[in-house]
Amino acid sequence: MSGISFKTATSYIKRSPFQALSAVFVLSLTFFVGTIMALLVYSSSQVINYFETRPQVIAFLKSDSTPEVISALQNKLATDSRVKKVKYVSKEEALSIYKKATSDNPLLSELVSPSIFPASLEFSVNNLEFATTVIEEVKKEPIVSEIGYTASLGGEKSLQDVVTRLKTATFYLRMGGGVFVGILGLTSFLILMVIIGMRVSARKGEIEILELIGATKSFIRSPIVLEAFIYSLVGVFIGWLLAFIFFLYLTPSILSYFGEIPVLPKEPVNIFILLAIVLGVELLAGCILALSGSMMALSRARQVK
Amino acid sequence: MVTFKNVFKSFGEIKALSDVSFEIKKGEFVFLTGPSGSGKTTLLKLILREYLPDSGEILLEGNSITDLKNSQVPVLRQKIGTVFQDLKILPERTVKENIEVALAVVGLSEDQWKARLDDILKWVNLDNRAGLFPAQLSGGELQRVSIARALVVNPQLILADEPTGNLDWETSIGIMDLLLKINKEGKTVIMATHNQMIIGKYDKRIIHLEKGKLVEKKSEDKKMKTRVEEV
Repeated sequence: MSGISFKTATSYIKRSPFQALSAVFVLSLTFFVGTIMALLVYSSSQVINYFETRPQVIAFLKSDSTPEVISALQNKLATDSRVKKVKYVSKEEALSIYKKATSDNPLLSELVSPSIFPASLEFSVNNLEFATTVIEEVKKEPIVSEIGYTASLGGEKSLQDVVTRLKTATFYLRMGGGVFVGILGLTSFLILMVIIGMRVSARKGEIEILELIGATKSFIRSPIVLEAFIYSLVGVFIGWLLAFIFFLYLTPSILSYFGEIPVLPKEPVNIFILLAIVLGVELLAGCILALSGSMMALSRARQVK
Repeated sequence: MVTFKNVFKSFGEIKALSDVSFEIKKGEFVFLTGPSGSGKTTLLKLILREYLPDSGEILLEGNSITDLKNSQVPVLRQKIGTVFQDLKILPERTVKENIEVALAVVGLSEDQWKARLDDILKWVNLDNRAGLFPAQLSGGELQRVSIARALVVNPQLILADEPTGNLDWETSIGIMDLLLKINKEGKTVIMATHNQMIIGKYDKRIIHLEKGKLVEKKSEDKKMKTRVEEV
């Protein structure tokens, strides 16, 4: 039955190419925007994750702190559920970080010795909401001389502000993108439904004849549903392919602009895996769209009948 | 093969069939006669489960078709070859495709189609018309397409609703020859017609309806034959 259903579905498409084109065009646009949005959501999550997982707080330790008390504080922080990734940075390590950071000016690094850099405990908080409380608590520790933050980007007072701003921007991006994709998805659904509805109306006589010679419901419905699937899957593939080409074209610029911030997977294989996942999800969405659109059109046509 | 037991069917105030009872045996050829509006088509539609009777029972091969679930109706229809009064040929499909549809409906695999198609097209003498569309065929040829589609699935019961209507005498005889040939192969044929000349020419059982009531039921209606000869 699938062979004849497919043949029938393709013959319907050939008979009304402009309906088919409009359906494929709208679906391609939806899935093109959908793919771009999925990548933007991924990248924005990566940016937030990058900033969130960086050591956000540095507790500079007094120079007379003994290894035992440092270790005790480190353990205390490590067992705190609000805190993650606690790392001890010795004076020597601090110097080497400094040297690395000033490698373009060797004179600066030659002038310093490890003794001027305090040892420190670097850590992040699981949720930035805890940051203020944790910092206040750590400040009270007797071996802590000062608390610092790893970044003060764009004039923000603290990293928390940066992340808060990023989160707000990402929230609006996701909301706006979601609404846009939702509107496009709904448009695609309606267009698919209208086209399938027109197809059912045009085939009313044929459906009646098929019923009289003993065709089952599934026999009658399958070419119609299959036609919706063809539109939807072709739309997914074209939309995804266009986004893929667009994305490949932009990747070098994106990577160089964001530098060490991993907005995209570094390995090309992982980029392809990411895009394959997006394609998989879109194929699933396309199938759901085709099935729901065609079944709704068919049930509506039956009610009218 | 087909049994009607006290079947009533009405459409609003109009009584289409009233207390109709008869039995048609396997392998019989039966003319269903009567004037227009006498209930011939309604009776055929009841066998095809297009309609349900208001009361009474209809049996096909001993099984009640009135109690069939809707999901089983396609199975019933697949067992019956129907030649419709208005032919019901798919206009956008070729002769071959119209017949293929019936094969697809019964779920026959595509590799079995060709042999059946070639046989049936030869049988109805349409083998040189396979690729043509209905609009390119004559009335008689369309009637033969309809017969071919009904027969290709090898049903045991054929319902033919006015298969010679609007056809000239010669073409009608050609169609009748086909139906008789099918009957000779052991298939049951119920043919609705009001063509007295056709009824008179063939010595077959007649089920006659008048205003929805069965008024005559005979295997050899000599009176009618005589009347036809007089006409």
